[in-house]
Amino acid sequence: MDFDINKEQKMLKKSAREFFAKEVDTEMVREWEADETGYSPKIYKKMAQLGWLGLLVPEAYGGEEMDFPDMTVVLEEMGASAMPSPFFTSGVVSSLTLLAAANDGQKKKLLPGLCSGKKIFTLAYDETSTSMSPVNVATAAVDKGDSYEISGTKCYVPYAHVSDSIITLVRTGDAVDGGASGTSLILIDPKADGVAVDILKTSTADKLCEVVLDKVQVPKDNVLGELGKGWEVLEPVLQQCGVAKCAEMVGACARVMKMTVDYAKNRVQFGQPIGSFQAIQHHCANMITCLETSDLITRQAAWRIGTGEGWEKDAAMCKSWASENLRELMMLAHQVTGGFGFMEEADYQLFYRRVRSAEVMFGTGTYYREIVADQMGL
Amino acid sequence: MDFEFTQEEKEIIQEVRLFIEKEATPELRQESHEIEYIYGGPIAREFIKKFAAHGWLTPSWPKKYGGLEASEMVTYMIRNELAYSGCPIHYVGAHMAGPSILRHGTEDNKKYLLPLSKGEIEFGLGYTEPGAGSDLMGLEMYAEDKGDHFLVNGQKTFSTHAHVADYHWLAVRTELEGPKHRGISILIVDLKSTKGITVRPIMTFPGTRSNEVYYDNVIVPKENLVGEKNMGFKYIMTALDFERMFPWGHYKKVFEDLIDYTKDATRNGQPLRKDPLIRQKLAQLETEFEVVKLLYYQLAHMLDNGKVPNYQSSMEKLFFSELTRRMSHTIFEILGLGAQVTEHDKRAALHGMGEFFSKWCLIETIVGGASEIQRNIMAQRGLGLPRA
Repeated sequence: MDFDINKEQKMLKKSAREFFAKEVDTEMVREWEADETGYSPKIYKKMAQLGWLGLLVPEAYGGEEMDFPDMTVVLEEMGASAMPSPFFTSGVVSSLTLLAAANDGQKKKLLPGLCSGKKIFTLAYDETSTSMSPVNVATAAVDKGDSYEISGTKCYVPYAHVSDSIITLVRTGDAVDGGASGTSLILIDPKADGVAVDILKTSTADKLCEVVLDKVQVPKDNVLGELGKGWEVLEPVLQQCGVAKCAEMVGACARVMKMTVDYAKNRVQFGQPIGSFQAIQHHCANMITCLETSDLITRQAAWRIGTGEGWEKDAAMCKSWASENLRELMMLAHQVTGGFGFMEEADYQLFYRRVRSAEVMFGTGTYYREIVADQMGL
Repeated sequence: MDFEFTQEEKEIIQEVRLFIEKEATPELRQESHEIEYIYGGPIAREFIKKFAAHGWLTPSWPKKYGGLEASEMVTYMIRNELAYSGCPIHYVGAHMAGPSILRHGTEDNKKYLLPLSKGEIEFGLGYTEPGAGSDLMGLEMYAEDKGDHFLVNGQKTFSTHAHVADYHWLAVRTELEGPKHRGISILIVDLKSTKGITVRPIMTFPGTRSNEVYYDNVIVPKENLVGEKNMGFKYIMTALDFERMFPWGHYKKVFEDLIDYTKDATRNGQPLRKDPLIRQKLAQLETEFEVVKLLYYQLAHMLDNGKVPNYQSSMEKLFFSELTRRMSHTIFEILGLGAQVTEHDKRAALHGMGEFFSKWCLIETIVGGASEIQRNIMAQRGLGLPRA
């Protein structure tokens, strides 16, 4: 067993840390949250130039051809910066989806633009069910010969308002086998006639959108890969994205851990630093346990995904464990920092909101424990 | 990163497994269970000697002292395998006293190393006193320097191995003046043939035995002083950094038996394993065992890479011990009324281990440093928070 990241990953982590320290501060984060665009196109472009958008993409399609754990190293540092951007939905979710679903011609056509940052992609899979299941995929694609006519409402689509292309899960056939069959992934241009994008007002203000499709005409060539295999291809991708999101939140919480310990060392009450009280020390000990166990289990899952096989159980344990324990860490951070941490101007709330949002992204703990139970042969 | 064991490690464990399968008789397991998995019962002594002949008792030790010069990873794997299979663990000698002797011991001390690695002798810990539990620095057992020997007087309590062990690994006060932690030394005391030692049982409520040990004008030769005089507290602390590891395999075995139980048992006409709430609980425990596995082998990885785990070992101990309680809750929820039936009854489910561990889990969060002490260590040594 080797628990350490390798030399290249250490270098990548260092350069990512320096990049975010230089480019992002939490005042900017607040501005992006308030702003309708919701991110800095300038920083996005710089990240593209560093190759981060195409970390997992083979060189033949314009990427860096690195491994899953390499990407989690960058995501940790991004998480620590609290920066909102379409990076995750385009560089992680969409690139993994395209790699898994698209045929070679589509990859050649689409991925170079994604990697260079010229084109932003996003994924629309959920509707109103907010479940990790294809049963309720009702957005219908009606066969019109050379094209599909698509109608329905997709929900919780990140950065659809600035995207160039929305990878959309639609129903192209009857829902049998629990609804998995008969779903397909198809590219929709948000500027096409009949597409209406509305930004939802969410806790993190990270621009989750409702996308209403009203008789949108989409060429059949836009179907990614095989017709009817949408959910089958997408489900494992979403589970891998769950692990990637955990890495981002581990990075966020590592920063919160440090902020909280610094606070406990400096805040004086009853004539001494509150960090000298056992009640506070034990909260901090519980926080570091939440952090390091989440880190370990995320590293293991990322490594296993990188090996390409047998990762489902590790990924499921990772997302259920890290989601719930990083939430616990944040709650304890607020308990330690009291009224100070509850102020808008303190940064704790930025991280708290992101951790709570990540908790419900790509499936909750309950969903993943059911996968673990399956994998245990129960 | 690599979260698999190496081929070589897997092969060693496979050998160990085969050996245990062949040599660990039901009688051995029963004896082992009855004396709380410590070493010293008559069957265990024969078993451990055969086991140790492969170098498996002290794999990471130098060859000249009976080791294999293998990694700590191998050591940790073997210890957990022993725990998993319900075999006795030669813990104090091979894992605490031995490494301290290797690190700090005099030439006289080192004569214990070969018998230790061969499984011929075992030590018992003599740290705790009526007035020194979590606050070990407060220990009072006094060893008066009489020139060519020490004269020891005082009382130890909760000396778990003392009735079966061959030697006491005894923390004593050798200096009455100055800071408390600079006046402690470690002595090796022959428990079997030294005059003036009285060992009395303390029965615990799960039915296992610990001891109180009285020293009444006990003469201990100078050569039995470990390392240097008054350096004992430092040795104990160093040993905790390097050797605070808690194998968890015995609980994993009970958990696996619990899973098997849910596969066969039905409730309201439905197999328990199909109950969504039970699936959630078992999946949660499965995940927690994965976490403890990572925390445990992380310690070995750190040691193998020249790092000193200090707060990380506290984290492993804390997490493991609290996990045992959570598992006990789940066992009771799943077994219902049957959970209370003891191992000695014909209706015992899970061989009565659910019932036994419901009592035993109470000591896990106390023995080897209470949870509160572990959290203090993590906060102060790990995070640098100030002492009160």
